[in-house]
Order: sequence, then structure tokens, then C-alpha cells
Amino acid sequence: MNLLFPDWLPRSNTVNLLAGAFLLSALYAAAQRRLLAAITAYQWNSVALGLIAAVVAVVTGARHIALAALLVFAIKAVVIPAVLRRQAMRGGGDTVAEPFMGVPAGMLACGGLVVLAFSQTRALFGAGSSILASCLPVSVATTLVGLFIMVSRRRALMQVVGLVIVENAIFLAAVSLTYGMPLVVEMGVLLDLLVGVALLGLFVGRIEETLGDTDTTRLTSLKG
Amino acid sequence: MAWLLPLLLVAPLGGAACLALGRSRWTPRVLLASCAAALALALALVARTLTGGAFTAAGGWLHVDGLVAMVAIIVTAIALPCAWYGSLYMPFVAERDHTDARWAPGRYEALLLGLLGCMLVATAANNLGLMWIAIEGATLASALLVGYYRRPGAVEAAWKYLVLCSVGISLALLATVLLYYSAGRLFGEEGAALQWTHLRDAAQQLDPRFVKLAFLFALAGYGAKAGLAPMHSWLPDAYSQAPTPVAALMSTALLATSLSALLRFFAITAACTGPAWPCGLFALFGALSMVMAVPFLLVQGEYKRLLAYSSIEHAGLVTLAIGFGTPLAVFGGLFHLLVQSFAKALAFLLAGSIGRGAHSRRMDHFPGMLEASPALGTLLAVAGIGLVGLPPAGTFVSEWLALAGGFASSQGVAARIALAALVVVFLGLTFHWSRMLLGRPREGFADPLPAGSHAPMWALAAVLLVLGVYLPAPVRALIEQAAQVVLP
Repeated sequence: MNLLFPDWLPRSNTVNLLAGAFLLSALYAAAQRRLLAAITAYQWNSVALGLIAAVVAVVTGARHIALAALLVFAIKAVVIPAVLRRQAMRGGGDTVAEPFMGVPAGMLACGGLVVLAFSQTRALFGAGSSILASCLPVSVATTLVGLFIMVSRRRALMQVVGLVIVENAIFLAAVSLTYGMPLVVEMGVLLDLLVGVALLGLFVGRIEETLGDTDTTRLTSLKG
Repeated sequence: MAWLLPLLLVAPLGGAACLALGRSRWTPRVLLASCAAALALALALVARTLTGGAFTAAGGWLHVDGLVAMVAIIVTAIALPCAWYGSLYMPFVAERDHTDARWAPGRYEALLLGLLGCMLVATAANNLGLMWIAIEGATLASALLVGYYRRPGAVEAAWKYLVLCSVGISLALLATVLLYYSAGRLFGEEGAALQWTHLRDAAQQLDPRFVKLAFLFALAGYGAKAGLAPMHSWLPDAYSQAPTPVAALMSTALLATSLSALLRFFAITAACTGPAWPCGLFALFGALSMVMAVPFLLVQGEYKRLLAYSSIEHAGLVTLAIGFGTPLAVFGGLFHLLVQSFAKALAFLLAGSIGRGAHSRRMDHFPGMLEASPALGTLLAVAGIGLVGLPPAGTFVSEWLALAGGFASSQGVAARIALAALVVVFLGLTFHWSRMLLGRPREGFADPLPAGSHAPMWALAAVLLVLGVYLPAPVRALIEQAAQVVLP
């Protein structure tokens, strides 16, 4: 354990650093116009999440958290990005995901959301005492940023990226509030997420097949 | 315990068998046999619950009480007629419709049984994490079924359904995490803090701030799944584009399952903060759903979309009735959840026969149904009185009880709003139905399905009408037990 975690490195600082990387990668995804770059940002987001879970596992010494961290790493940082990339490549390569709002305006909105999340979470949960105190506001902020990505993009696959970022943020909330849920539950949640992303990818393919495009603003045949 | 595990296992096992059998002529029979076995086991479970009371099983992962038994009955009693009708309808579609997906044989049956299995697990789960996993599983299975046809509308509907419900369900996961956190300090033991029975018993020691936050997220998440306004926008698209038996199952069984998940959070919150706070929110969102559905019901031209908005209205009424919080209203609301399932399943199955016969989804394209096809016309009339809540349909009794309980409660304003909405809906649906039933039929309408397809619909109609004039003692006891679970 000491090899993994040298004593001279303060643990709370490590967690803070990783939480910062988590939030920044989500913001980076929100700032991207290129789909593949956004998927890479999601991958970094997942890596940060897996590392936070690993730190928690080392600190608490609980084996089931270590296993959960490994699963998070395998599914969120490897499998899901691969699925998304394959779908993106099939849909004509590195397409530009034109946002409704320009990138600077979008960044300003995201910054506002982050400030809102930090102030409100502090008010509700207090300053917190555990080493994960910094994670909860980050998780709330990232949820909002993910939702912002979902509503501000036309491209179907970009909305999926927003959705998986929201899922990551909720996972971070679970880790930081409760040191993770029981292993069986986490495994089930990850399995559902994996199948869900595969299905979303399938339907992105179908949208393209029927519309010749994955611009979701053109999905308007059903009304009233 | 004895009846529970077979009940939960029969659907997945049947689904696996269907996948293995493929094109065999046994595949539809396995589907029907699995649904029939599930119904029989659910009835046995009800008998066990009525005599023996609530119990937990499988090391605290599963439990059975009045609410579980009631929802299990709704799910299985609707699944059987839907599967029965589907066994006649889907081969017809595969033969005639060029947008039919031509799925690998056995896959439709397997997915339908997978959906049934997920709904039953979600109903009987005591562990809130397991409940979430099962409901997400049901969402995924039903999304594939919504996208069955290969036409732009179906793809659009399935996409909206999957994206909106995925966001909703991740909020529900956050709700689960928050509840787990609020109880984490009370239960040292691994996973016990996720068990609903533990949480309810210890509700008064939970931190009310987090319980309230969890309830809000659960209301948004599972409420989106149940189709409460304003999270309902996926619903008319999904119900109108899904194959008919699937739409019938989603608008009844999946609705009941999602509402029962929401009621689990409601029960904990009511025990923690006192009933007034969650009841107020239920009344607000229930009344909002009813009011919002009214204009869409009035101007609707498509039959299945009309049913979808009616579904929102009924879900709103059930939620509102529980929000009234008086024993009579809660009883009425849960009874309404039961009987409206039969009316709505019947109305949706008719959409298959009539819509395919008239080659149209629009109501003005099949006038004079009573003359064109007396059997279908009569069934359509029964479905109509069921949906508006006229005697002798059971929905009349349930709406009456819910509103009577509402006027006796402290939320008389909401009861008045609900009554007004029901009156307007009554007028609107009467107009639509009189156009469909009366008048001169169009040339060349013929019921495209074999006469055997009427049998499951007659069965649904019979239950709907019988429950309107006679409430058997076991049914009443079951609903009373379920009401005890929701608001003791």
C-alpha cells in the first residue's frame, strides 16, 4: 500500500487534484466542437473518476471498493469510449458538433453553473470533514455541465457524451458521499450503463440510416 | 418466499427459451405459457400475502407486501392478454407491413419476457439499488421494443424515450445515493442502508434535509418514467410508435411499476418528514398532469396519441389521489391504478385491430365502428366508458372514491381542479367516441385479425365491468393492505 501511496503525498491533496481534473475534463468536453475530442475528454473524466475510487480504496482498505474502481476503469475509461468512437467513425469521422450557442458563450454559461453548484452545495451539505469534501460540489457542478452539453448540442452522439458525463458525476457523488454502494449494486449499475450506451449507439446509427444525418433538431415528425 | 422466486424466474427463463427456440412454432406458446405461469404465481403470492402478511426474502434483497402483490397482479394480468393478442397480431404485421423490423425469430418474444421479468423484479425489490437496476433494465428492453418498426417516426420516438428516461433514471440513482447517505450512519452493516424495510422503520432518525432532496430527485426521475407532467414529452411519441401489444403493456404495467418505485420513496419521506410535505408535491404534480393533458386530449386526431394523453391524465389522477392523503383517497387512487390498467390495455389493443383494418391512425378515418364491426364496436364502447369513468366501469367507482376522499382532505382546491379536468375530458372523449362509434362506416372496413383476437379483449372488458359493480373481498383486502404500505 505504501508503494502505491507514498506517505509524503497528502491524500486530501491528491483527491483535490483528481477532482479538479474531473471537473476540467468535463468543461473541456463542453468546449469541444469536435466529437472525437469530446469523447477523449470523457475518457479523461472517467480516468479521474477511477483514480478517485482507487484512492478511496487505498485509504479505507476495503477490497470491494478496489474492485469497483477497477470495473469503473475498465467500463467507463476503456469500453464505453471505444463504443462511442466506433460509432463516431462510422458516422463520417470527426464531424463538427455545431452547438446552438457559440463556444465562448457556452463556457460562460458553464462557469456560471459551476459557481452555482459550489455555492449551493456548500450551503446544503456544509464544509464537510472527510477527505472527499471537495468531491461533492465537483460532482454537482459536473452534473450540470453534462446536462448543459445535452441541451446545447444538436449532434445525437454529443448528447450521449453529455449523458455519460452526468452518469460519471453521479458515480462521483456516490463515492464521495458513501464511499460507493454495495458491489453488486455498482456492478448492476455499470452493466445497465454499458447496455444503455450500446443501445444509444444503435439508435444513432438508425437515425443516420433514416435521416441521412444525426442532427437531432430534425427529429420533428412527431408532434401534438 | 415459496411463490416469489419462481415468479421472478419464470419470465427470464421463458425469454431464454424463446431465444433458443427461434423460428420454432413453440416460441409463441412458450411466451403465452410463461405469462400464464407468471399470472398464476402472482395470484398465489396475493393469497400468501393476504393470509400471512408482509415478508422479506433472499437475505433482504426482496420483499413482499400489499403494494408489491397488487402491482405484481397488474403487471401479470395485463401481460397475459397483451401477449395473447400479440401472438395473433405480430405475425400479421410481419406479413403485411414493409416497415416491420424482421427481427431474428424469437427476439420479440424474448424482449417482451425480459421486460416482464424486469418489471417484476423492480416491483419485488427491497434493495433500492436493485430496484433501480431493474427499472433501468425495463427502460432498455422497452426502448428496443418501441423502435421495433424501421420507420423514421419509430426511431425518433425510441431516441427521445431512451435519452429522456436515461436522464430521468440517473436522477433517480442520485436519489438512491442520497437516501443511502442519509441512512449510512445508522446501519453499519454493508448494504442494509439500501433496504427499503430498514429505511422505513428507521425513517424518523434519517436527516430530513437529505430525505427531502432524495424525494425531489426520485419524483423527477421515476416521475419521468411514469409520465407525470412536465416530464412526459417522450410518452405520446413512444406509445403511438411502439407495436400495439407493447404500447398496451407500457401504458399499464410499466406505469404501475414506475409509480410503485416512486411510492417507495414517498412512504419513507412521509414517515420521515410527516405526510404533509410529500403529499403536497404529489398533489401538485398530479393536478398538473391532469390539467396539462386536457387540451391535447380535446384536439387530438390520432387514436393512439389520444390514449397516450389519457394515460398521462390517469397517472396524474392516481398521483393526485395519493397526494390527498386521506385513507379513502389513497384507497381510491390505488384502486384506480388497478382498474384503469384494464381499460387502457383494452383501448390500446383495439388500436391494433381497428387501425390495421382502417389503414389509418386517425380517428376520423374509422367512423361508425358499431355498424362496421359490432364486436369491435362494442369493445370500443366499453373501452370508452372505462377511460372516461362512466358506470358500470370500475374506473367510475375508483374516480368517485378518489374525489370523495379529496374533498374530505385539506386539499379541496386540487380536488376541484381534478373534477373540472375530468368533466372536460369526459366531454372531449364523448365527442371523439361518438364519432368513432356512430355514423356511416367507411367502405371496406374489415377486421384484419382472426376472430380469436377478440378473446383477450373480452377478458379485459369483463374484468373492467365486473370491478365496477362488484368488489370481491380479497381485492378489497389487497388494496387496503397496499394503502397501508403507502400511508400507514
